[in-house]
Amino acid sequence: MNFLRRHAVYGLLVPFFVSFACFWVAPLMEGIRMSFYSNELFGEVSYVGFEHYRALFNDARYLKAIRNTAVYTLASLACILPLALLLAHGLRSTFARLRPMLQCLLLLPGLTPPAVLALLFLLVFHGRQGLLNQWLVIPFGWQYINWLKDPDFILVALVFQCVWRWVGFITFFLLSGMEAIPKMYYEAFELESNRSWHRFRWVTLPFLRHVILFCLVYLIVDAFALFSGAYVLLGGSGGTADAGLLLVSYTYQTAFTFGSFGTAAAMSILVAPSLLLLLWACMWGYRRRSLRSSMKFQTT
Amino acid sequence: MTRHTRQWIAQTWSSLWVGCLGLMVAYPFAWMAVSSFKDNQQIFLPLKFWPEAWNFNFFHQLMGSEWIPFWKVLLNSLIIAMGQSIGAVLLTSLAGFAFAKHVFRGQGILFVACLCLIVFPRQMMALPLFQWVHTIGLYDSVWGVMLPGMASGLGVLYFTQVFKLIPDAYLEAARIEGAGEWRTYRLVLPMLGSSLLSYGLIHFILAWNEHLVPMLILNAPEHQTLPLALSSLYGSSLRFPFAVLMAGSLLAMIPTTLFFLVSYRRFKNSLSDVMMS
Repeated sequence: MNFLRRHAVYGLLVPFFVSFACFWVAPLMEGIRMSFYSNELFGEVSYVGFEHYRALFNDARYLKAIRNTAVYTLASLACILPLALLLAHGLRSTFARLRPMLQCLLLLPGLTPPAVLALLFLLVFHGRQGLLNQWLVIPFGWQYINWLKDPDFILVALVFQCVWRWVGFITFFLLSGMEAIPKMYYEAFELESNRSWHRFRWVTLPFLRHVILFCLVYLIVDAFALFSGAYVLLGGSGGTADAGLLLVSYTYQTAFTFGSFGTAAAMSILVAPSLLLLLWACMWGYRRRSLRSSMKFQTT
Repeated sequence: MTRHTRQWIAQTWSSLWVGCLGLMVAYPFAWMAVSSFKDNQQIFLPLKFWPEAWNFNFFHQLMGSEWIPFWKVLLNSLIIAMGQSIGAVLLTSLAGFAFAKHVFRGQGILFVACLCLIVFPRQMMALPLFQWVHTIGLYDSVWGVMLPGMASGLGVLYFTQVFKLIPDAYLEAARIEGAGEWRTYRLVLPMLGSSLLSYGLIHFILAWNEHLVPMLILNAPEHQTLPLALSSLYGSSLRFPFAVLMAGSLLAMIPTTLFFLVSYRRFKNSLSDVMMS
């Protein structure tokens, strides 16, 4: 009885970690196992060792998919975060009565299934009559752009979709974070400077560090896992000249179009270390940042 | 110029620009709602907003399951999203309680495992997951999508923060009365109403919008979820009326939007509370 009492904590953890083991660790192991075996769909599979991994590094399409995913992730981060910060800042100074309504308008794309977003993109933004061409391209006197066929613009279209989808949610998180900042810090800062930029830079931003880090991690992971948008827009392939080939869609294509399960499993497994590295870099930057700002705070 | 008018001008200005941007973001959805009454010819001219005639035929077609087994698919979606979010709230709040209020061996490692779960979500290893679900015999069943969705690293992180906000005194009091771990957890749970709701909501939205995993695991048309069925309609043939797709998309948005609107205020407050800490 005493033993049970002392170890009751583990009882709380068991349900979660059972599901974790069943549906995360086990598939991961399965994936690692699959990546060491040959590609036969039917019949005997044989052990091939690291053959799939070696082949992947010589696969030009795989390298292209990595490059595209990296560009896509960075570009969408670079668009979403500043825009969301600006929007959250703007939302804070709107009329309080209007605020929930504006927020909901911005959030609508985030609440919608991405497949629907992709459809709307096709029908509303894309094409000669589409809004992107009518609003952004034709007024400047340029040739109209075929967003999903022109290899230079496929990624732009995907990034646009990502920004459209997430900017509302990130704004919402940032705004909740901003509203949680105690007023007294602003009052204290008024002694230092009255410029709104300074206030934003030296009070708001440092307080939002955690929230921004969370958004950053969330967006990176989501960008890596992007599938349905690209799937509906490009029909499961990489688009013209593979310009829109992303990691998950290439994995999907390899597995279910070409039937190479082993290679596809190797691809899924290889994403893990790169993501870990990226996130580690984020955390590292965050640590250093917070260290530096606290040092500055001490010197001033 | 008094301080009051200056403030008023600033407020009007930011309301204006944020409002314009918001309208631009939301315009396609208004267009979608209106387009569910248009025939194909009008749909392909996105600049024209109002339909020539209000044609309710397409809603009838959709709900009469002419193109997709609409009601079955909707029910599936609801079951999967509901089950997933309730399960996830239960599992992760238990784990969060343990992480926030206890010190135990292996805490660090287990927490890092949760972080790994966030960083490497199941969408990324959809193929091995598909194989695994096949192996354990849950292929083409609602459970095959629901159960993997319940293990959520984000939830553990969130609930760890939430439980940290609860003063230890409550727990002490419960323990002095002789309550075990499970009882203590049940006792503090009512204090967390809005946090539980917010996380359930977020998870519901994510589960409702999920595409890749259900697509791989659910096979038969009447086992699929609503977004899947809609995207399988697209491109099936050119004669197919797009208005049905628009109507379906509109209905697919309703549950998430509705839930969000209903719990907007609580959601926001509990987020602010967590961020304070």
